[in-house]
Amino acid sequence: MVPLWQRPPRAVYLHVPFCRRRCGYCNFTLVAGRSDLIQPYLDSIALEMAAYDDLPCQVDTIFLGGGTPSQVRDDHWRQLAAMLHRNFPLSADGEWSVEVNPEDVDRGYLEQLRTDGVTRVSLGVQSLSDDKLRTLEREHTGQQARDAIQLAIDIMDTVSADLIFAAPNETLSRWKDDLASVIDLGVDHISTYGLTFEQGAAFWSQRGKGLLKTVGEELELDMYLLAIESLIGAGFEHYEISNFARPGNRCRHNECYWTGATYHAIGPGAARHLKGRRETNHRSTTEYLRRLQEGRSPVAESDEADDRERALEVLVFGLRRIDGVDRDWFLANTGFNLDDLGGQALQEYRGEGWLQDDGRRIALSRRGLVISDSLWGRLLAS
Amino acid sequence: MQLVGLIWPCNGLNRRLSENLNRRDGLNLTSIPTKNIRNFCIIAHIDHGKSTLADRMLESTGTVENRNQKTQLLDDMELERARGITIKARAVAMKYRLGETTYELNLIDTPGHVDFQYEVSRSMACCEGALLVVDAFQGVEAQTVANTYAAVDQELTILPVINKIDLQNARVDEIIAEIEQTLGIDGTEAMPVSAKTGVGIDDLLTTIIERVPAPVGDPDGPLQAMVFDSHYDAYRGVITYVRVINGRLRRGEKIRFLRGGSTHELMEVGQFRPQQIACDELSAGQVGYVICNIKSLSQVHVGDTIGTVKHSAEPLTGYKEPNRMVYCGLYPSDGQDFSELRDALNKLAINDPSFEFEPETSDALGFGFRCGFLGLLHMEIVQQRLEQESSVDLVQTAPNVTYEIALTTGKVLEIHKPQDVPNVGDIEEFRQPIVRVNFVLPVEYIGSTIKLCQDRRGIRQGTEYLSPTRAMLTYDLPLAEVIYDLHDKLKSATRGYGTMDYELLGYFPADLVKLDMLVNGKCVDALSVICHRADADRRGRAVAKKLKSEIERHMFEVAVQAAIGSRVIARETVPALRKNVTAKCYGGDISRKKKLWAKQREGKKRMKSIGKVDIPQKAFMAVLDTGQE
Ligand SMILES: Nc1nc2c(ncn2[C@@H]2O[C@H](COP(=O)(O)OP(=O)(O)O)[C@@H](O)[C@H]2O)c(=O)[nH]1
Ligand code: SF4
Ligand SMILES: [Mg+2]
Repeated sequence: MVPLWQRPPRAVYLHVPFCRRRCGYCNFTLVAGRSDLIQPYLDSIALEMAAYDDLPCQVDTIFLGGGTPSQVRDDHWRQLAAMLHRNFPLSADGEWSVEVNPEDVDRGYLEQLRTDGVTRVSLGVQSLSDDKLRTLEREHTGQQARDAIQLAIDIMDTVSADLIFAAPNETLSRWKDDLASVIDLGVDHISTYGLTFEQGAAFWSQRGKGLLKTVGEELELDMYLLAIESLIGAGFEHYEISNFARPGNRCRHNECYWTGATYHAIGPGAARHLKGRRETNHRSTTEYLRRLQEGRSPVAESDEADDRERALEVLVFGLRRIDGVDRDWFLANTGFNLDDLGGQALQEYRGEGWLQDDGRRIALSRRGLVISDSLWGRLLAS
Repeated sequence: MQLVGLIWPCNGLNRRLSENLNRRDGLNLTSIPTKNIRNFCIIAHIDHGKSTLADRMLESTGTVENRNQKTQLLDDMELERARGITIKARAVAMKYRLGETTYELNLIDTPGHVDFQYEVSRSMACCEGALLVVDAFQGVEAQTVANTYAAVDQELTILPVINKIDLQNARVDEIIAEIEQTLGIDGTEAMPVSAKTGVGIDDLLTTIIERVPAPVGDPDGPLQAMVFDSHYDAYRGVITYVRVINGRLRRGEKIRFLRGGSTHELMEVGQFRPQQIACDELSAGQVGYVICNIKSLSQVHVGDTIGTVKHSAEPLTGYKEPNRMVYCGLYPSDGQDFSELRDALNKLAINDPSFEFEPETSDALGFGFRCGFLGLLHMEIVQQRLEQESSVDLVQTAPNVTYEIALTTGKVLEIHKPQDVPNVGDIEEFRQPIVRVNFVLPVEYIGSTIKLCQDRRGIRQGTEYLSPTRAMLTYDLPLAEVIYDLHDKLKSATRGYGTMDYELLGYFPADLVKLDMLVNGKCVDALSVICHRADADRRGRAVAKKLKSEIERHMFEVAVQAAIGSRVIARETVPALRKNVTAKCYGGDISRKKKLWAKQREGKKRMKSIGKVDIPQKAFMAVLDTGQE
């Protein structure tokens, strides 16, 4: 048996680091207001791709994340698409996702994406309420978001919407409205994130100075539970902690992260998993560009675990999936017996009711789900 | 008392240097008659200029050149410099010509901190005179008073010196009045000097010769030499500081520590000038060092008497065992490091016999050591050295003082940790150490200082006015109350102007109880404290609250209780964690998340588990929270 982490990659992630300006809560790898860097960026990713000796490499999924990939348009887009076609030809029936911001959406752009092979757009909706969007310092309005969703549903195979909850001052009923509206609009997939305060984001220091009122743990929990309830009620499958899909519309690319598969990654801050090694490119866009222009490696961090650690990783990330982890699948794909590996921690979590176990597979219970970040540390230390 | 490995630069190079010097003029020193010797110390409050003045005298006497010396020759331990205090007692011999006569002036530096009272008394016992240095602006402070009392006890001739007269705001006349008022010393004798500019230093040296009595002692009598300090030299073993009272110490002769009982051959005798300079003998009245191939400081006791092996004289009076007043538990943060910690403690104890340790176990903390110190400063010094010299991560329990318990059986126990307190039914009397504290402060802070003392069950002993604006307040207080935070509290209550010093009066009965802390029903032994019954409620509430804030939320509720025996007096609850899930998780997150979890795991290692509850290490100091403002 070849374990998961030694198999050839069937996926590629491309990081596109451009945004008009930085949203208050965001600490992602990006440059704001630097569209002048798009061409140097395209030149650099071409250099990065040229450096891999296993390209072209046929893949089943492509994911363009950001930043804001929809900032790359027209001729720039054509260069990018051509590069991907050349280096990462998509298998028949493959999935190609692009993150798109509502304010960038127009018919021409989406049709171009579709023509070039994109199958799925993930819209950075975040909310349909103008107030909340303003609080989050987003560039679009509620109406723009609605229009974008409708147009995308019209043109693309699959449409996903990202929603944020627990924004400052948000109430449960406002959140309920957001959920209802997005469901009504008919998206196929929803990712929903509780707002976090990250070092490096403007909100972090604003909260530190007492300028932002956070919603509090209880309400945030209620919002999360409400999302699960409403979406399941509307026919979505809750398939990962923060992801919901209508049947047949799960994001296959994201699934490969959670099942421990290998994948290529290109661009600043991009993280790859190849031959059992996890590597992350330099997070500074300018440093990334400089390194490639100077013929140096863009890799900033690299981490090679032993097989046992890798298997534990597969277990932990696998448990983020609501379906959980199947014992036979686990043995067949990692070479480790799940119960031997997770030992005491698993037993204890089962005892506490944080894990369900039907004998074949283990999965988080609802109680375990909401405190799951407290479970992983112990489990990884097994 | 020995805290410093190397005091003077006495490595190989300097040794060779000193041997050369010795050949040149070493013999001269021994030819000085007793009547031409003056032994004195300098006593002063912190920062009043003791070290600077010593430097100037070393220069004026030509003992060191007017040099590229680092200032303050007498404090070279880093910690001392950082805190501006003198911990180590030491001595230096200077030669000074007055008229036709050459005098030997021995300056003995005394520790300035109350933890080392005994060492101060032994150093003073080697002197006939004391320079009482008072800052021309600051005036008399608490340590000025305490040190002067100690000098008076030793019947030293006290020469008042007003230092820093170069300061623009010097108020010499007022200070003279303060000295007369508080210390009962004739102010007309006060000598104005500036240790900074050198003004008055020659006059001071002359006055020392004129006013400090020469030692009395018979060079031909039976040998008696007082050990007043020692330190460990990596090359030469123990170097013992002595003052010869009667008789002679000669190289090559056999001597005996009259209290310690061990016998040795004198391999070298000499003086610090300030380098070690060997000579053939030290005779009655002289101050110097001896080296006799002793490998551990634990064999040399401050206050012991050196005599001859054959017809020994009586040991000198005033000898005491080190008096450990403060104890705490030291545990390796990682249980694996136990033997490494033991080795580190052993090494420290070789250099510092006043520090003691013995293994102990705690349900909460595992295997560690109960360590005894002369006082809180001593504790800090030892800990700091441990941290510098070993890589062991330490968990420290809150310090406690020594208690005495008289049992109903008539037996008396010395208690070094709260866990050792016997059942209430077996206790006849519970006694705690009481100290007399002198506070010197501007009069406007008398009220706030009185409140501090009353809150701590102090008994007022008197108030004296040093001047219309400054007063000295005397209180008897439990040592336990003093060591925890009184100094800090005094500083904030007096905007930094108040100073304090204290001396131990003895053990006195008090209504004391053992206060236990329970975490989810389990008593955490390392968190127990001894406190006054009337304070137990307040302390219990404060500690419970503090623990609540230190303990992270778990996936279940954590109850923190304070109890006396089986009676719970305070309770706090750490609510169960209801939500801990960050929803976002994309490709790059995997590496980041792994790092985060690895960090959590490391953090967990540094926690101690009581049942299923993880308690962070710093929570073990939470019991210091007294609940007082
Ligand atoms: N202006 C002035 N400053 C002095 C004088 N003597 C000492 N100092 C300063 O006072 C501070 C404390 O001196 P130090 O000798 O360390 O005091 P110690 O703590 O008593 O040993 C140092 O900053 C010295 O430079 C003096 O005569 N005049
Ligand atoms: S949240 Fe999205 S759009 Fe806003 S700055 Fe971050 S990456 Fe750009
Ligand atoms: Mg000093």
